[in-house]
Amino acid sequence: MSAFSTEERQLLDDSFNEYFRDNYGATHAVALARSGDPDGFGRKEWSDYADLGWLGLTLPEAAGGSEGGLTEAGIFFAAAGRYLAQEPLVQTLVLGAGSITRLGTPEQQKQLKEIAEGKLLVGFLHAELASGYDRSHVTTIAQPIEGGFRLTGEKAFAVGAHSADILIVSARIGDAAGPVGLFLVPADTDNMQFTVAPAIDGRRGAAVRFEDAELGKDALLGNNTEDRTLEIDTLLDHGTLAVCADALGAMVAATEITTEYLNTREQFGRKLADFQVLQHRVADMKVFCEEARVVIHAALTAVDEGAPDANLAIWRAKVQTARAARFIGGQGIQLHGGMGMTDEMPIGHYYKRLTMCEAMFGDAEWHLDRLASMTNMSVNGSAATGS
Amino acid sequence: MFFNSSAHNPSLDEFREEVRAFCRKEISGDFGRKLELGQHLEKPEYDAWLKALAGRGWLAGNWPKEYGGLGWEPEQSAIFNDETARAGAPWLIPFGVTMVGPVIYTFGSEEQKKRFLPDIVANNLWWCQGYSEPGSGSDLASLRTAAVKGTDADGEHYIVNGQKTWTTLGHWGDWIFCLVRTDPDVKKQKGISFLLIDMKTPGVTVRKINTIDMGHHLNEVFFDNVRVPAENLVGEENKGWDYAKFLLGHERAGAAGVGKFTRYMDQLRAVLAITNEGGKPLSESPYFRRRIADLEVSIATLAALSEDQRTAFHAAGSPSLIGAGALKLRASELQQEILQTMTEVLGRHGLAYQTDALMAGWNGELIGPKESAGILYEQLIRRAATIYGGSSEIQRTIIAKSAFAG
Repeated sequence: MSAFSTEERQLLDDSFNEYFRDNYGATHAVALARSGDPDGFGRKEWSDYADLGWLGLTLPEAAGGSEGGLTEAGIFFAAAGRYLAQEPLVQTLVLGAGSITRLGTPEQQKQLKEIAEGKLLVGFLHAELASGYDRSHVTTIAQPIEGGFRLTGEKAFAVGAHSADILIVSARIGDAAGPVGLFLVPADTDNMQFTVAPAIDGRRGAAVRFEDAELGKDALLGNNTEDRTLEIDTLLDHGTLAVCADALGAMVAATEITTEYLNTREQFGRKLADFQVLQHRVADMKVFCEEARVVIHAALTAVDEGAPDANLAIWRAKVQTARAARFIGGQGIQLHGGMGMTDEMPIGHYYKRLTMCEAMFGDAEWHLDRLASMTNMSVNGSAATGS
Repeated sequence: MFFNSSAHNPSLDEFREEVRAFCRKEISGDFGRKLELGQHLEKPEYDAWLKALAGRGWLAGNWPKEYGGLGWEPEQSAIFNDETARAGAPWLIPFGVTMVGPVIYTFGSEEQKKRFLPDIVANNLWWCQGYSEPGSGSDLASLRTAAVKGTDADGEHYIVNGQKTWTTLGHWGDWIFCLVRTDPDVKKQKGISFLLIDMKTPGVTVRKINTIDMGHHLNEVFFDNVRVPAENLVGEENKGWDYAKFLLGHERAGAAGVGKFTRYMDQLRAVLAITNEGGKPLSESPYFRRRIADLEVSIATLAALSEDQRTAFHAAGSPSLIGAGALKLRASELQQEILQTMTEVLGRHGLAYQTDALMAGWNGELIGPKESAGILYEQLIRRAATIYGGSSEIQRTIIAKSAFAG
């Protein structure tokens, strides 16, 4: 159970939103993303998050964290999405700190403190060129060598990987049939090739090739050769839910700014907001926001309460959120008319953020397939699904 | 009629083959590669292509022979549009040949026909469209760019003041055809005139609009005391709205772009074949197979709708309002659906959007399939398909009005 009360969550929500409202928004996001510096996000913002204690929100007390659950983090990500924050929060906090917390040795856990202090950005490289969204397909090999491992393989484009200090990389230990381990790889390790690019929403990332990159013995997370496929699946499920929260914030903002636009723009001598067909469209956007909010909340609660079917709740949340994201992003532009096509209006940036959220860690159809594979077809089956 | 007659016309098979052969020859080498990758074309590349078409008389093939066309029947135009689009040909810039040209040969003076039509047929000038204004989008008739008639030492003229927007490729424009307000005191549709303006005239300023794909295709065009000779008025003063409606009908009677959808589907199949999930090509995925089947149902329906409109046009002399609206509606929505499906495939590659890859000669390292940047560019820019040329909301209003009018 989360140690946070409803009141505390409200306070958190207020302070996140206040910070982002005062310091962020589409204009700032675009300026950072297109700046000449190699990050494409705000280092100052990152240190603000650390100063405000937000990077330690879900970390253990020993690391200087406040031991919040994924729900508290979700409130943070929703606010970040709402104001289009560009920093790799989900990557560092959920996937990065998440894997170290769950699997790391006491020695490796010491790095969590640095994460909380904002000194360490973490990237997560699991998907490969031939994996698609399938999480069990790993062909990168970590060959045990004297004093450590030698990493060979190629990881697909991942947001945030370009600026991470440490990359958490999945690889099969020994050979193609070996167990999948997670490795802590300092970004300045030799024999790594980064291909840096912006994603469709402007956030940057990298695809990374490992050509006999040599790692120390302590690079293997947990320092044992257990297969981590299930752990990785859980981590990515949590990342998926975090992305849903980010999308929720973006959908709420997109609906708001669209409503505002309809209230200002006039055609045929009337405000666009007076046309019933447009009112109904906004109503649908609102309903999609509400549905996403509650289904995400249900999944966050399931995760934080350790419910045995929390994964199913996450998959449902992603299906629903991705569908909502497609509708709201598309209709947000549509209702802006030609203005929605311009780079200067915020709505296009929300559309692109939502396109990204739809895809990240598996889209609606892929998650629906996962759910379908678990569907209980027996006539007396109580719920729609069950494991 | 329930089912119009529309038998296959074998005499056009040869023409279809001819267009195919032409495309194979012209769309090759560096040019072909650029088109394959969806890279942005420069003006000289468009011009070279349009000139090549003009060389065969095909650019204005559907124009009457007396104005330099080949007098194609709608069926032949459809074959031409279909085959060039399938072959991945550049966009057939419509502003001269499909838009202003027919208005001039239908409503223009003999003088205007002599002066403007040969350059359109030969693609010597780049035309732009000056319709929308910042305050007049769906409600186009509310436009406010004013043209005030006067006389000076050089003769009768209009002084034009105002602003047009969404002017596609206006930064390459030589001439712009504009709807302008010549009478502010009558019902809004009644005080509009159709004016041809040389964009090199002092007082015309073009300013770029950056779009969500991060490219430059659209522009604002400003008119500050621009002197336009009165002889550049097409038809009668204050009849511009009628000409605009004629033009719209002319535009719609043409293609729904079915050929382009065939092209998109080829791209979809290509990215599916080279994208793997769990080590297996995505083309084996039951979901995507079903998706392709589903999209093909829509494409076949659209093709049939398009053909029906054409035969109706042939039989009745005008397309049906409902059919034209349905065509615009479904074609634009379907285009977006296909592009969304391609984006679903590219999601597997992380949705990197390398806009530099849209520039010819770029040889950085690509992430994902080689078509990625071109597909994502289309995905973004085609959000406009349901907005321009009468938004989906406007189309539905037209269809509903027509339905309720019985």
